[in-house]
Amino acid sequence: MILNRTIGAVASAAMALALSGQASAQSSAERAVEAAKQYAGATLNVFYEAGLQPLDPKNFTGPMWEELTGIKINVIEAPLDEMFTKIMQAHRAGSGAYDVLNVVPNQMPDLAFAGVLEPLDDWVEQYGYRDELATIAPVYRDNQMMVEGTTYGFPDDGDVLVLYYRRDLFEDPDNMAEFKAKHGYDLAPPKTWQQFNDIGQFITDKYAPDIYGAGMLRQPGNAQYLFQERFRVEGGKFFDGETMAATINSEAGVKVFTEMVEANKFMPPGVEQWGFIEAFNAFLSGDIAMTISWPPVGRWAAGYGKGTEALAWIPETKVADKIGYALPPGGTPELAVGFSLAVASGSSNKEAAYLFIQWMNSEEISLQRVQLPFALRDPFRDSHFTSEEYRSRWSNAGDYLDTLKAGAETGLLDLSLIQTDRYEEGIRQAISRLWAGDDPQEILDDLAESWDELTERIGLEKQKRAYLDWAGKPNAYPN
Amino acid sequence: MSQSSSIGRALDEQRAFKYLLVAPAVFVILLIGLYPFVKLILTSFQNITMFEDDHSFNGFVHYARLFGDERLWESLLHTVAFTAVALPIEILLGYLLALLFLDPMPLKRLFVAVILLPTVISPIVAGSTWRLMFDHRFGPVNQIIAFLAGGEVKLLWTVDPFLVWPAILVAEVWQWTPFMFLILLAALSNVDREQLEAAQIDGASWLMTFRKIVLPAIAPVLFVAVLIRALDLFRLFDVIWTMTGGGPGTRTETISVYAYQMAFREFDISYSSAIAFLVIFALTALVIFALRRVEIAR
Repeated sequence: MILNRTIGAVASAAMALALSGQASAQSSAERAVEAAKQYAGATLNVFYEAGLQPLDPKNFTGPMWEELTGIKINVIEAPLDEMFTKIMQAHRAGSGAYDVLNVVPNQMPDLAFAGVLEPLDDWVEQYGYRDELATIAPVYRDNQMMVEGTTYGFPDDGDVLVLYYRRDLFEDPDNMAEFKAKHGYDLAPPKTWQQFNDIGQFITDKYAPDIYGAGMLRQPGNAQYLFQERFRVEGGKFFDGETMAATINSEAGVKVFTEMVEANKFMPPGVEQWGFIEAFNAFLSGDIAMTISWPPVGRWAAGYGKGTEALAWIPETKVADKIGYALPPGGTPELAVGFSLAVASGSSNKEAAYLFIQWMNSEEISLQRVQLPFALRDPFRDSHFTSEEYRSRWSNAGDYLDTLKAGAETGLLDLSLIQTDRYEEGIRQAISRLWAGDDPQEILDDLAESWDELTERIGLEKQKRAYLDWAGKPNAYPN
Repeated sequence: MSQSSSIGRALDEQRAFKYLLVAPAVFVILLIGLYPFVKLILTSFQNITMFEDDHSFNGFVHYARLFGDERLWESLLHTVAFTAVALPIEILLGYLLALLFLDPMPLKRLFVAVILLPTVISPIVAGSTWRLMFDHRFGPVNQIIAFLAGGEVKLLWTVDPFLVWPAILVAEVWQWTPFMFLILLAALSNVDREQLEAAQIDGASWLMTFRKIVLPAIAPVLFVAVLIRALDLFRLFDVIWTMTGGGPGTRTETISVYAYQMAFREFDISYSSAIAFLVIFALTALVIFALRRVEIAR
């Protein structure tokens, strides 16, 4: 009996040694592929944000993975603002509808506490992925991967809201002279919101209706991220750390709301309805001089991906070689949304699902994915920012990647609490009221009241702990 | 005595056999009809959110909350007001269209089929279509108005608080007037021609003819059509959700949109159940009242 146990232990140790030897010989992507072959014939249901995002697993990684392992990839899509609900519903129903999940990082704690996500640490060790996780850019790695010390997802999308501006207009000698004469400082990418307003108004006054000073994301679902960022840049805090009372209706909040309405006046008529599509459409068409948006806009505006069938619906850029990249006013851009890859606890193919996400997220495969012109995954690893291949994709791709890297260092995390989505829904409603013409102070007072009620219902002390945990992170508020 | 008891036994057996035959159907109806309703009521007395499964009895907390929920009453007001405006318009336009098609005309069937097209479209598709129609940049509505006005027009149909309800009204009336038209066309076709001719010979006015002959003849059918549409309008969701999402702010939230928001945006499942129960209660009361009023149930 004892002998049997000893033999078993020795065999296990030998196998572990053999595996570790094999591990050092293979890349993490190769290890995932090798291990996944045992699941050939299975189908993984992969949950993605609807739109361009799923073109990656549909057209690129899905077919490649199937060829390598024999595992099929079935993509299921939902709009961004319905993803959380769909994931929770599937989990509650015990349907096992999804194997792989794309999780918005600030919702990860809620999903983890609800038992929706499978802990990944054992597999990370087993398949030797720890070292590669360490090379993910710190802001994503440290904030979008773990909940209370357990790994639940792999940061997979370097979302950051960057300022794009028309270099040709900013560097035009006449514009520079006129602007300096009027405002007393140089025409350059704005460092403050006051400068942003000055420049926007200046360009609109001179060029509208052909070109407006700026065009921003104004649909509540998108605009809430800009509000979260600007509110903190202006010194706002979401809650009082002592009492946990909502302080969203502070002077900073009212100032931001008031200025957002004012700024609309130098933007194209109807900007209140603009979402991601409308804003980048206008920028690529040369209708606006500045916009703040997600990284794909910067690539497409430069003409990257031109001629790709999947991007045929995008207007041909009229501003290629005229684009400048900068951090938005305040220098602390919102790390809006982002995605982490996770495994659903209700999956019947958990290990296969894990292996798929390790393979997708690996240095080797992710570098290819973030360069797909038609997909929306943005650089999130140190090696992505420094990739010579990527930096040579268009004339100032280096500037683009440097700006994204800078944003990843100073960027602000989306607010993350218990039941975050309910708090964000409040901001969305508030912004919708703002465009309807309601008084900013009144809107924010109502929002603060509804947040307080929500906090009370969730449990003040419990929520306070969650908030202080979040607020204590280096990227929660500007330093 | 024994003969009567044996007859009684036979009748009992016959009755029992009948019950046995209908039992599966009744069971299915109870399962799919009554179970969700009972579950809804139970949930409304618990405290279930998407995050917590608190199945303990929570008393009337959610029902008490209904009374103080301004947003709920505001959405109910929107629902009732919109129903009160949209329904008469649909009836009137449907009636006028039906009158137009009463007499024989070339290609009548083709025209009727074309008019009915909006009704067969899914409301979600109709809402999306009208959202595009009202788009401030690319939508034809603004372009037509701009052409007529002779200059650029930027009307924000789905954002401007003053325009958003008219936009929804147009979409709703466009989709459902053909339903009224079809029902009223069928009803008007069955009005006794001889009575109409007699009234004409007697010199009755149009209004008198309508009130004394046409209306009584079409009333039962009209009532059913009105009831169906009123219930539909009360439950209005799809068109509003796709056109405005209940916005701007909460300006176009109907009771259904609000219940959805509570359940699937704010994840307050139990409170949403209480709202749903309120709606069911109100609609049931309305239907019973209406049926009794016209004695149609008899």
